[in-house]
Amino acid sequence: MVELVPTLLRQELARLAEADQRMDGRERFEAREVTLETDCLYNAEGSAKVTMGKTIVYAGVKFEIRTPWPDRPAEGSLMCGAELRPVAHRKYEPGPPSPESIELGRVVDRGIRESGCIDMSGLCIVPGEKVWGVMIDIHVLSDGGNIFDACGLAAIAALRTAVVPAERFDVGEDYTLKVNGTPIMASFTRVGGRYIYDPSEEEELGGDERIHITLGDEGHLHSLQKGLRGVFTPAEFAEIFDVAQQRCGELRNLVANQEGN
Amino acid sequence: MGGYGDIQLLREDGLRLDGRKIDEMRPVSIEAGILPAADGSAMVTHGLNVAVAAVYGPMEAHPRKIQRQDRAVIDVRYNMAPFSTSDRIRPGYNRRSREISKVTAEALESVVLVERFPRSKIRVEIEILAAEAGTRCAGITAASVALADAGIPMRDFIVGVASGKVEGTVVLDLDKAEDNYGQADLPVGILPNTGEIAFLQMDGDLSPDEYNLAMEYNFKAAAEIHEIMVDALKKRYEGGEN
Repeated sequence: MVELVPTLLRQELARLAEADQRMDGRERFEAREVTLETDCLYNAEGSAKVTMGKTIVYAGVKFEIRTPWPDRPAEGSLMCGAELRPVAHRKYEPGPPSPESIELGRVVDRGIRESGCIDMSGLCIVPGEKVWGVMIDIHVLSDGGNIFDACGLAAIAALRTAVVPAERFDVGEDYTLKVNGTPIMASFTRVGGRYIYDPSEEEELGGDERIHITLGDEGHLHSLQKGLRGVFTPAEFAEIFDVAQQRCGELRNLVANQEGN
Repeated sequence: MGGYGDIQLLREDGLRLDGRKIDEMRPVSIEAGILPAADGSAMVTHGLNVAVAAVYGPMEAHPRKIQRQDRAVIDVRYNMAPFSTSDRIRPGYNRRSREISKVTAEALESVVLVERFPRSKIRVEIEILAAEAGTRCAGITAASVALADAGIPMRDFIVGVASGKVEGTVVLDLDKAEDNYGQADLPVGILPNTGEIAFLQMDGDLSPDEYNLAMEYNFKAAAEIHEIMVDALKKRYEGGEN
């Protein structure tokens, strides 16, 4: 479906930016309310539901036993995929995975993988024969803007609650998956000429390029991605990077608090 | 329907493995209007099943060849999330989901006043987030509530319910074990006000008497679920608590 970007929307967003305002009254780097629920899906070995404003995302973790890659006989694997199913918005249509959903899944995947929070050698059962394949599937149910951050948060929260179903596969006793760290993504979109955090649906529709930053527990970068048409300056990046540091810390605490309950 | 096997599905005291009576259904709860991006939506929790339905439209029907000059078409997609079952399901459409989508669409087209919207399309998306036998029924119930939530005119709801047979006994609302090891499954879509049937499938082995009893159980359950559907919509539009 071709998305019509209303000129009026862009003009309105530019006018608001001039006055340093946003359509829903938020500050430039202010987030919408985030809710996180974990262990919410029967049959998934780890699960999470995240809402950010009108965005609703579920993530579920499944395990399977597979033969290791020949060049890494003692390592398991991690795969993270996202589906932008037609349930989530009228703009999504059925069919093979769209470039958007592939990008989304891969950006979330990189943030988790590159943070090193999963020790791949810990997923080995019998070297050269049997290893665990960990699959995180992200299901977007409602796209109300900023699905990248919602998906990233749901994925890591689900992973952190995952229990390896060893009994079901007859390879020992069930145990909690070891996850060392909580990589968190923060996304920024250029709206009305300047970057804002946590774009709403309208801001994405009338906005320009976006930048996704995934940070680990120590504040290190683990994944960066620029999407859509547009350019940015180093100074602009420096500004949003500071915001990302702070925001990722807050969301990491949210995940920790949820686990504490 | 699997074999009789060595699994005992009915206990000595006549109750079922999960403690339910023969004609007792699993707990059902329904919430309407849960997806902000959709024109109408609902979540149905039926036992451990979780089905979410979203409705978009009526909208322009494309590709053009699916258009009907005299009515709307209903485009249903039933999809199980990869993490909804014990073994992960590879994402994408398979033969089972295609068939369920088709018969569900035909059931919904029999209650929606499709003549009101010629040449248009109504999209119904059914997503199964957790599956424990009976997902197509939970999906139909969710789709009905979502259509009502979207303000689409209908002559009645459709309530999805199923009965079956385990160890020679007709029981209402099969759970996972009963579905796997039972002898028959009879999922139906019932119009609660008119008492008509818009959706029907069956597999296994039922005598005519057993069929009649299974249907009787289905109608009883449909009346119960119908009340929950109405309550869900009332709560959404009358601004009840929550």
